[in-house]
Amino acid sequence: MENNFSAESSLRLITETIERSRRTMAKNSGKPMILWGSLVATTSVVIWALWTRTGTPVWNLLWFAMSALGGFFTYQMNRNREKVPATEISRILGKVWMWFGIFTTGFYALLWAVALIRYSAHMEGIVTVNLTLLVTMMMGLCGAISGAVMNCRPVTAGSVLATALSVLFVLLVPDGAPVQILTFLILGVFALIIPGVILQRKAKA
Amino acid sequence: MPESKLFKPLDPLLHSELRLAVMSILLDAGSADFVYLKAETGATSGNLSVQLDKLQQAGYIEVTKGFKGKMPQTVCRITDQGRNAFASYVEALRSYISSDNR
Repeated sequence: MENNFSAESSLRLITETIERSRRTMAKNSGKPMILWGSLVATTSVVIWALWTRTGTPVWNLLWFAMSALGGFFTYQMNRNREKVPATEISRILGKVWMWFGIFTTGFYALLWAVALIRYSAHMEGIVTVNLTLLVTMMMGLCGAISGAVMNCRPVTAGSVLATALSVLFVLLVPDGAPVQILTFLILGVFALIIPGVILQRKAKA
Repeated sequence: MPESKLFKPLDPLLHSELRLAVMSILLDAGSADFVYLKAETGATSGNLSVQLDKLQQAGYIEVTKGFKGKMPQTVCRITDQGRNAFASYVEALRSYISSDNR
């Protein structure tokens, strides 16, 4: 192997290799972000429309359908695109979002279970939990962590901005109103779609 | 003072394009599998295997062979010794560059 390259060449090689590797990582993060952002934004608008029209929050169950649909599309996307093996960063990102899914789905299922138990046991009183606010905060946190791990400012900034706007929105509209669900439209657009498009463009540059 | 004393010695194991590229990727990513390293460095499988073996023997990386589903997978992970060697190498390079700028 060639050992006669200069100190400048060595440093240039190190920098270029790391930058190229990071671009590969970024290329793989853009598309899923756009996909999930579009799904989250669309689902929130659909639920808001149906909830407003029918007056029942049962349409929130559509989030489960969205998760299944997103999982299917992600699987298809991974199958069709060039294989990019896992690195420490991609593994961390995968685990962060996996735990986000487990926490939100688990908590939502738990709330339904508690509601059913209270209803069957004819328990009095109402327990209110602002799930929208909770999920908003968790989603923003996971987005900011992802951006920090990838060392990608648009993702971190998008998540922080989206969380701030969403929390403000949730706190300003009446608690429990269907319009509150549109906070996920803000999150989908600012925390996922826009950073995803930026990542895609950076990867192609 | 003799000129050689101005320069820190360069680790011959890292002063090779392919091994340096591999170490740079692993330094940033922590670990990566063989297919990824091959794609990112543009090396041939044979050459990459030889260089990975040298890095492993020096204790700079750990190589784990396993399976991902039904496909065999070789994962390379940088060790603390490898990180320290890389840091010393970059420090030594800086001494060459700062000496050139004098």
